[in-house]
Amino acid sequence: MTAEMGCEQVRDLAAELALGIAEGEERDAALRHLSGCAGCRRLVSELSSVGDELLQLAPAQEPPAGFESRVLTAFAEPPRRSRRQPLAHRWRWIATAAAAVVLAATLGAGSVLLATAGDRRLAAGYQAVLSQGRGAYFLAAPLQGTRGRVGTVFGYQGQPSWVMVTLQPSIQEEGRFRVQVVTRDGRYLPLGDAVLGGAKGTWGGQLPVDLSALHELRFVGSDGQPTLTATFDTANPWD
Amino acid sequence: MALPVGPLGAMGVAVVRKLSDESLLAGLGSGDPDAAADFLRRFQRRVFGLTLSILRDRAAAEEAAQESFVRAWRHASAYDPRRGTVAAWLLTIARNVSINMLPTRRFDPIDPELIVTLEARRPLEDRTEAQVVDSELLREPLARLPGDQRRALVLAAFYGFTAREISELDGVPLGTVKTRIRSAMLKLRAQLRVSDDR
Repeated sequence: MTAEMGCEQVRDLAAELALGIAEGEERDAALRHLSGCAGCRRLVSELSSVGDELLQLAPAQEPPAGFESRVLTAFAEPPRRSRRQPLAHRWRWIATAAAAVVLAATLGAGSVLLATAGDRRLAAGYQAVLSQGRGAYFLAAPLQGTRGRVGTVFGYQGQPSWVMVTLQPSIQEEGRFRVQVVTRDGRYLPLGDAVLGGAKGTWGGQLPVDLSALHELRFVGSDGQPTLTATFDTANPWD
Repeated sequence: MALPVGPLGAMGVAVVRKLSDESLLAGLGSGDPDAAADFLRRFQRRVFGLTLSILRDRAAAEEAAQESFVRAWRHASAYDPRRGTVAAWLLTIARNVSINMLPTRRFDPIDPELIVTLEARRPLEDRTEAQVVDSELLREPLARLPGDQRRALVLAAFYGFTAREISELDGVPLGTVKTRIRSAMLKLRAQLRVSDDR
């Protein structure tokens, strides 16, 4: 972990943070500082307004003919996955994810075997686990590779929020990846590097945003393209 | 279209056209077809203009603009007015989508000067003169920045180049690039503060 940053260092980096171009451990350390410093947060917020204003300077252009109807057609397409599931089904899914995260975090294992002994009892344990980290809920999403599912990404909403990846054995997509968070408002935030495959069956990281803001987790290969992707369609299953 | 008719639709297009950006976004998120169409008409030229400025390819820019609107539709409930205007939120989405579509960092960026030396835009039919003036607040201050600061800032703000990437692109020390970006941003922030005080 990078050494903690003081206000002066963070203020030096504030413009890059506001523009979303700060990188790596330097950025992580600055975000940790921001979480407890209202003055530096205010500066970054003001500079973010500058970034917003700059984008408005791009000259408006008439889009190609038919653009409007194509977008409206896209609006009408059904979402890739149902946003609402029956409550009992959703509860079982969340409870399963919760138990899986706990097991994965405890064992550090690449695969998770889960047996439930009733939703009610599991719910009590689930709540007890969440209370340890001031968390509210867990999420899970399939991690998709070039040839289908290669693992699972578990997300924990708390302070802080974090994600953990568990991989199936012998995946094709081995190597070093840049991990990228895509937020629901379209930002792309770096989450460090990950080495996956081989003996590395798990990977975890602290999110720079609340779990509810996470739309996609991407593992970007050396060609700059996302090799592994997990999409979180639901921000908060209890909404 | 499969979108259900919602409360805004019942008000009629003439009324919808006068709604605020926030109201239209709320209508878009709730599936109101008239609000969706009006939201699209209100912002499509600005969104496409930005994606085209970044990608410089009309087909790619159209794809990016479409993806931007779809994300806005899907995540309309995530918009927080305390963090900026609807236009700023939407253009940030468009910027991020476009940056992600740039092939690689081998990409040769447009001369950043072009973005700031273009003539001030004429008012669009769906924007008032005041709205245009508001969005032009930074054009002159940006043009007055030293050229090296302006270039670094535009590469970072529009194309998402990190300081390290700008350093490599321009063959300038990393610390110098960071200073240029910081100085430029602080000057423009001061300009925005002056505008707020008026």
